[in-house]
Amino acid sequence: MKKLLAVTGCATGIAHTYMAAEAIQKAAKEKNVEIKVETRGASGTENKFTEEEINEAHAIIIAADTDVDAGRFAGKNVINVGVAEGIKNAHGLIAKALAMNEIAKKDYAEEVNKLKQERSANMSGAYKHLLNGVSYMLPLVVAGGLLIAISFIFGIKAFDPSDPEYNRIAEALMTIGGGSAFALMVPVLAGFIAFSIAEKPGLAPGLVGGMLASSTGAGFLGGIIAGFLAGYVTKWLKENIKVSKNFEGIKSILILPFLATLIVGLLMTFVIGTPVKGIMDGLTDWLTGMSSTNAVFLGLLLGAMMAFDMGGPVNKVAYTFAVGLLASNVFEPMAAVMAAGMTPPLGLWLATVLAPKKYTIDEREAGKAASVLGISFITEGAIPFAAADPLRVIPSIMVGSAVTGGLSMLFGATLRAPHGGIFVLPIPNAVGNVLMYALAIIIGTVVTAIVVNTLKKSKE
Amino acid sequence: MDLVALINEQIISLELSAESKEAAIKIMADKLLESGFLSDRDKYVEAVLVREQKGSTGVGFEIAIPHGKSAGVKRSALAIAKLNEPIDWQSLDDRPVKMFFLIAVPQEQAGDEHLKILSSLSRKLIHEEFRNQLLAAKTPTEIIDIIKTI
Repeated sequence: MKKLLAVTGCATGIAHTYMAAEAIQKAAKEKNVEIKVETRGASGTENKFTEEEINEAHAIIIAADTDVDAGRFAGKNVINVGVAEGIKNAHGLIAKALAMNEIAKKDYAEEVNKLKQERSANMSGAYKHLLNGVSYMLPLVVAGGLLIAISFIFGIKAFDPSDPEYNRIAEALMTIGGGSAFALMVPVLAGFIAFSIAEKPGLAPGLVGGMLASSTGAGFLGGIIAGFLAGYVTKWLKENIKVSKNFEGIKSILILPFLATLIVGLLMTFVIGTPVKGIMDGLTDWLTGMSSTNAVFLGLLLGAMMAFDMGGPVNKVAYTFAVGLLASNVFEPMAAVMAAGMTPPLGLWLATVLAPKKYTIDEREAGKAASVLGISFITEGAIPFAAADPLRVIPSIMVGSAVTGGLSMLFGATLRAPHGGIFVLPIPNAVGNVLMYALAIIIGTVVTAIVVNTLKKSKE
Repeated sequence: MDLVALINEQIISLELSAESKEAAIKIMADKLLESGFLSDRDKYVEAVLVREQKGSTGVGFEIAIPHGKSAGVKRSALAIAKLNEPIDWQSLDDRPVKMFFLIAVPQEQAGDEHLKILSSLSRKLIHEEFRNQLLAAKTPTEIIDIIKTI
């Protein structure tokens, strides 16, 4: 049933205010419409609307010659007439109000999407270039990681012809996933970082630099360096090699790729490759050999980072770090990071379910949308809540995510694919120790919900 | 509700003759002065007419509720008049007025009581049965009895 609101007010506040109110109430009763009328008269405001009533109203009739604080009705259907009209034409006003179109309910998934786009548009500098590379690299990692996982269904070494469990299909899957998709990971990362900086001429030197990073063992760190190197070298060459107009074509198809690739290639081979390999090896050794205390600590840290800015720069650093490690066959941080990225939206959804009175109707709706975003590992789903109440929400989600990250590392969960949320859990071998992993996510969700509800006051 | 303080038989006229709404208002204001509700009749009338200019108090249904809030008013009052000949009041529904309620309110209100009475009266006037009762009343006492049902 459509609910209406009406507010009346006149200059002196003695007569017309109440006559309009009465007329509107009478007309509504005759039409069998539910209405609440607020009067702003000489003896003050009577029957003042609550926020909930405004939220639920289909339309608001203002029949007043005086100020009625109409800012409250932003975004709602409003009819604005003088108080005399309220007396004269109450029936007409109600009919008009009922005929107004339903205002479309906010679509939260769309809003979160818009937010993500705005963020991308506002990024600048090195961060933007890095993320460009990552975004082109991700599909390769997803496809490659999942295909490798599936090949393991046949047996951990089923891809190996010399192994008793050998299977032709498993071998093919491993070649496709590991030998091809994963092998392209670092070159593509480097190539598109360079592309972001220097456009098409940067692609070739970037790809080659990344290839060399892989082959020298410099891993994803080497790939990042190669990408920036290729990009800025190409850019510098582009700006500093001046040719006449006839040779512009030659410059971009021959001179730039040739010189840039030469420079980047030589630098990667003779200067950058070995030291960075040393760093990567050290990092990988440290990560795989970590004591469980240190592992948990790393999980806590990565978790907190994921929640701190929900898809922003800090989150992306933790994420990129975890994804990059997949290239070095380290799979635990990836698990921790994805779990920790799911608990902020999931935890906030749970919070609105457990203590609905602490949230506005809008927030409860947002909670439902957040639950879907959360299971899909879209951390940005928590942003509307954090924006509305940062001092309570952000610490809560950080605690929840840290707990999840720590638990995931403690349970030794592994994840071979950099995305997918809940949907990768059933894929065999994609997640190592999947039941404990799921438990880590559940615990983190509950912790987030409890902490944020403890901090929030009731909305009454 | 302290209705008795607001109204009495002296300020009810069931057979008023006047050529215009201004004249009608002035005649009833005189009665208010005689009954001791006003300290300055001219000031009060001016307030009523100013209010009238802002927007006609002829609310339709052949009824008008001219009113004024003024320092010239000692105590709140409700004067009632039925007209022998309907007067043009520039009403919302363009019909001439047969009956009007002249309301007087002091500048500073000590309490809300009279406002509540007046707002209740205004609400009741929207209902046809109430209006018809008043129009049918033959003596001031009857009128007061009907008003008491607010």
